[in-house]
Amino acid sequence: MRVRTIVTVTLAFVLAIILQTTLFSQNELFTPDLVMLVVIMLCLTKIRPELLLGVAFAAGLAVDLLGSAVLGLRAIVFTIVAYLALRTRERADIGRIITGIWAGVLTFVGVVLLVLIGTLFGQTVLLGDGVVERLVLVPIANLILALIFAPMFVRVVDRDSTAFRYA
Amino acid sequence: MLNRQPGDRTLPTLITLLVIGLLLMTFDIRSEGAGVTSTLRTGAQGIVSPLQKAAAFVVNPIADAIDSMTNVASLREQNLALQGEIDELDAQLVAIQDDLALFEFYEQLYDLEATGSELGRTPAQVIGQPDAFDGALIIDKGSSDGIVVGQPVIDTSGYAVGSVLQVSPGSATIVPITVGPSGVAVSVGNQVGEVLPQVNTAEMRLELIDAQDPVFVGDRVITSSGSVRFPAGIPVGEVTADASPGNDTLSTQVRPYVEPATLRLVVVLAWPPDPITPLTPDTTTTTATTSTTVDGDGATSTTEGDG
Repeated sequence: MRVRTIVTVTLAFVLAIILQTTLFSQNELFTPDLVMLVVIMLCLTKIRPELLLGVAFAAGLAVDLLGSAVLGLRAIVFTIVAYLALRTRERADIGRIITGIWAGVLTFVGVVLLVLIGTLFGQTVLLGDGVVERLVLVPIANLILALIFAPMFVRVVDRDSTAFRYA
Repeated sequence: MLNRQPGDRTLPTLITLLVIGLLLMTFDIRSEGAGVTSTLRTGAQGIVSPLQKAAAFVVNPIADAIDSMTNVASLREQNLALQGEIDELDAQLVAIQDDLALFEFYEQLYDLEATGSELGRTPAQVIGQPDAFDGALIIDKGSSDGIVVGQPVIDTSGYAVGSVLQVSPGSATIVPITVGPSGVAVSVGNQVGEVLPQVNTAEMRLELIDAQDPVFVGDRVITSSGSVRFPAGIPVGEVTADASPGNDTLSTQVRPYVEPATLRLVVVLAWPPDPITPLTPDTTTTTATTSTTVDGDGATSTTEGDG
């Protein structure tokens, strides 16, 4: 991974963490999981798959460190989501809408895993009021954002202006 | 089309990372959030909190404006209701001022003087939440403002919110009582028990031990003197369903007074007061007077005083 790519990816994660913990934490309807979305969109780039899994793990760990749930929970969830994204990313390159749906479905898998593993480890902090609604709202928000930003994100990270033009 | 397939090393990498993640989780749970993990969390919060504060400074007015625009109709109704409440409270205030004057008169008459230490109060702004699922709140005050782990947090009306979980120099993480890992010792009338968080609901479960009397809708639930997390007498919520005791126990639902997700401002209480270091008031800390006693069993009780 080149220095420029490292800087771009790091900036994307920092921006995602800051926006997620401030702007989107105050909105009840539009509540994306921006860090998970960045992980998913990164799987569409040309970054090496093994490296991507490491990046997903580190991103999850960063969110864990800022949250109140057990350390390692999101790291595991994001790594699994990244693995599934890498295995299925061929299907996301068909069109913009498909890319959005693909990101939404992966987010749904991710948040369900988060709640399931969190429940197994007794993380009541994740299971408060409206958890069922959020299981639906978070993937929808990620779907919308992926639909709009995924192609541009891939082009910026890969420095390839022809990527995701859906010819 | 993308032509890059996951290589053969993807699965071993996944398994390795999952094992590391599970080990981290086990380690964190076993160490109960202390030690290395606590240091890591403090460091991470220390790095991110200046950025969060800057973002909150920009974002909060925008979020409030959007919130106001989407809630114009309900805001009008709320305004009317609040106006009514203000009138009622004005009347109550006059009555309380009369009581206070009477109280001061009796104090002078019997040469009484309220004793106790000062309870520090640090107002803090809520700058965000970790994510959509994590119910914790991030505030803009930290250890440099005198906040330490475990301190109770109330809202500006004095209702119980939660307690401090993590602290960095510039920020702190608060876990609300509605999602916290443990319950809060409370009392309803002269009966004591515990309120516990529940899954996927804002309401909490009230369990009264050795219950003798029934509880009714609207009964006030306050923190009890047996609480190790809150001073006694902090309002928690009100009972939402009538219940009678059965086999000396009573279980019912309680609606907390506070909805943590909507909070913008909270107050961190310096409780229990430091028995060694006297509190030095600073620019951010205002004080109220409280007398706290700890009995032989470690139970703590607090009574409010006027000076």
